[in-house]
Amino acid sequence: MLFKEDSVARSQHLAVRDNAGWYRWTHDTVELTGVDADAFVDHMMVATVAKAAVGQGKYTTMLDERGTIIDDLIAMHVGEGRWWLSTLYGPHMVRWFDQHRDGFDVSYHDVTQTIDMYSVQGPNSARLMDEIVADKVDGLRRFQIMRTSIGDMEATVDRGGFTGELGFEIYCSREDSDRVAEAIAGPARELGAPRLDTLEVYVRALPMEKGMGLRQDYYGLTPYEAGLGWSVHLDKDFVGKDALAASHEAGEKRAFVGLEIDRDSYEDIAQGEIIYGRGIPVGVVRQFIYGYSVDKNIGFGIVDAERAPLGTRVTIGGNASPATVVASKWL
Amino acid sequence: MALRERLDTHACVETAFGKLISEKEAYRYSTRTIAAFSANIFQLMRILNPSWEDRTTAICEIANMMNMAACAGGKGELDQYLNAFYDEWNIPELCKRSAWLGAIWGDSGDEYENMAGRVIQFTENRVEKELDTCPWDIVGSEMCNMTTAMFTANFDIAAGGEHGETTNDVQLNMCEARGCGNPHCRVVAERLDHFDLEHQDWLDHMQQPTMPVHDTPVERRVHDGQGVRNGQYVNAFGEEKSLEWEYNWVSAMGWVWSVSFPLIAIRDMAENDDEFERLLKIVFSTAGKNAFIDPFAVEGLRSWLGVPREIGPNDPRLMGAYVKNIIDCQLCPCELEAFDEDGVVIRVSTDDFNGRFPMAPLDEITMGYEAQWSGAVKTMVSPEWSCWFEGKDDEFMTINVGRRVDSRMQ
Repeated sequence: MLFKEDSVARSQHLAVRDNAGWYRWTHDTVELTGVDADAFVDHMMVATVAKAAVGQGKYTTMLDERGTIIDDLIAMHVGEGRWWLSTLYGPHMVRWFDQHRDGFDVSYHDVTQTIDMYSVQGPNSARLMDEIVADKVDGLRRFQIMRTSIGDMEATVDRGGFTGELGFEIYCSREDSDRVAEAIAGPARELGAPRLDTLEVYVRALPMEKGMGLRQDYYGLTPYEAGLGWSVHLDKDFVGKDALAASHEAGEKRAFVGLEIDRDSYEDIAQGEIIYGRGIPVGVVRQFIYGYSVDKNIGFGIVDAERAPLGTRVTIGGNASPATVVASKWL
Repeated sequence: MALRERLDTHACVETAFGKLISEKEAYRYSTRTIAAFSANIFQLMRILNPSWEDRTTAICEIANMMNMAACAGGKGELDQYLNAFYDEWNIPELCKRSAWLGAIWGDSGDEYENMAGRVIQFTENRVEKELDTCPWDIVGSEMCNMTTAMFTANFDIAAGGEHGETTNDVQLNMCEARGCGNPHCRVVAERLDHFDLEHQDWLDHMQQPTMPVHDTPVERRVHDGQGVRNGQYVNAFGEEKSLEWEYNWVSAMGWVWSVSFPLIAIRDMAENDDEFERLLKIVFSTAGKNAFIDPFAVEGLRSWLGVPREIGPNDPRLMGAYVKNIIDCQLCPCELEAFDEDGVVIRVSTDDFNGRFPMAPLDEITMGYEAQWSGAVKTMVSPEWSCWFEGKDDEFMTINVGRRVDSRMQ
């Protein structure tokens, strides 16, 4: 949990918003290769991922047969017929691929344990990166990937992140991890960019303020309910397409929304806490956190779209914490 | 919501008189009955060993050892065991798994047992957990200490320690405990190297942590775990366990950690098995007699079970329905073979009754409940009635409520 009086979390949070900060950010990665790798990644994802040129990444969701989200990820086209798929938990993705690989000449495996990753985020992150890596990063477009080096170590850099700020992610080998961290630490110190060690700041508070959710926030929703309909391409085939198209045509019944409580803290609100409208359950909380840029306790929730539109006054949980349904993006 | 819409989704326990007890109430009650059994066992321990320090150390050692045994075997087996947990709990690589697993383990166990609270802090170097309620808060301070020994094992396993080895990478302090009279249970784990701390012995685990703790205001405390409040427990990474799953888990594992583990040490405190069993029966019988000494306790029981007014005060069905309801709420299958004014017979598989966790059956459950219920019927109904078990060594046994005269009755 984060509390408004937590000065350490606040300073780390605001450093990323106003300057820069860095942290180990090794999300799970599944490497996909093969003659049919492009076709397979397009078959598994809602977006036209395969259109991404080599050296470019793309955000997408992945659905089950019911047309609801089971993962959201960045698919990075790292070479011809070769993809890196970022995911929160690689073994689940591998098992899901196992069920859908028939007819595709592909291979894939979880490479998480072979790579390490650091994230450098904030408006001054490019300046910091230029002190760390051999090649300039300021020409990189969003989700563009660059092969470069840090001293004598090979590294891959992409422009991206999970804070809603300008940011970069550095991939290196596990063996080089400590040395890469040292290479970042020196210039970061000079720039006044802290190493973040409060996980909830960079996993929850920073992204939530910018409307960015985790897989578990969107899980079980359709991309349209989650506000991610822009990524769906119904003009191509993909797992879950038929069910998704049918539910979209019938109209979305649930909505992914933001929540603000009128209390100093949220200790009584867990993930899954029930949201009540006039005493009747109208939804559930997905996550609450304190946002240090907006200086509010904010959260994501899933509500009955008809009964709890934006602006609805609701209560949350057994202590009836008063709250308002708001848009799921604060900054 | 209309009943028709819930008929298929809301489970309940039916009493012998047809009253339906909701799954949530049954779950709450079940955890409390296991805790009460545990409390009796701990009273027995206090008789057998008058030294608080000795007995607390003994149960801490056993509880830690038994928890560590969960990962018995070589390095490969330990990795396999840990990977299964990462998989079950969806723990991503971006977390320092060795730091997080112990905390996730502890938090999930609390919630399964309806220990309601929250994780205040969950970082690589420090974890702080606060509980507003605990069904086991009647057992006493030795148990609070014992749980820190179990948590220590969880952190050691998570850190990759091998079977029997206690690496103690963290200082783990239960700086407040409801079993010691505090408003909260509060456990703080702080990494030794980060906070420059020293290793702890078993009796050092109730100190104040290095960093200050967060105290949740009274108006934002909770009375039940997530399972009762929301129908499921959700961990930090979005993995869910339903209330049904939690209920089944605690109906097995609640007996293991709070009864089976301490009993290993407590049996050793007695001179011999006969002495242990003699004292156990005295403790449980006394607890049973005292449970219904207040007339309003019987009135409350009648309300709970939905006993009709035509069932009078000296009727064995009151006791029979009480016993059956406890067993039902504890998710142990049983059936009535007789239920009239002459007596009650409940048939139950001996393995089911004693083996709540099938790998570690406990004969003490039969021993304790027979003594407790035999005592309880004296005050709940009248001394004319008794409660006894038959066929304890058979595949099925019966729990009987009937008239019994015994010139040496205790």
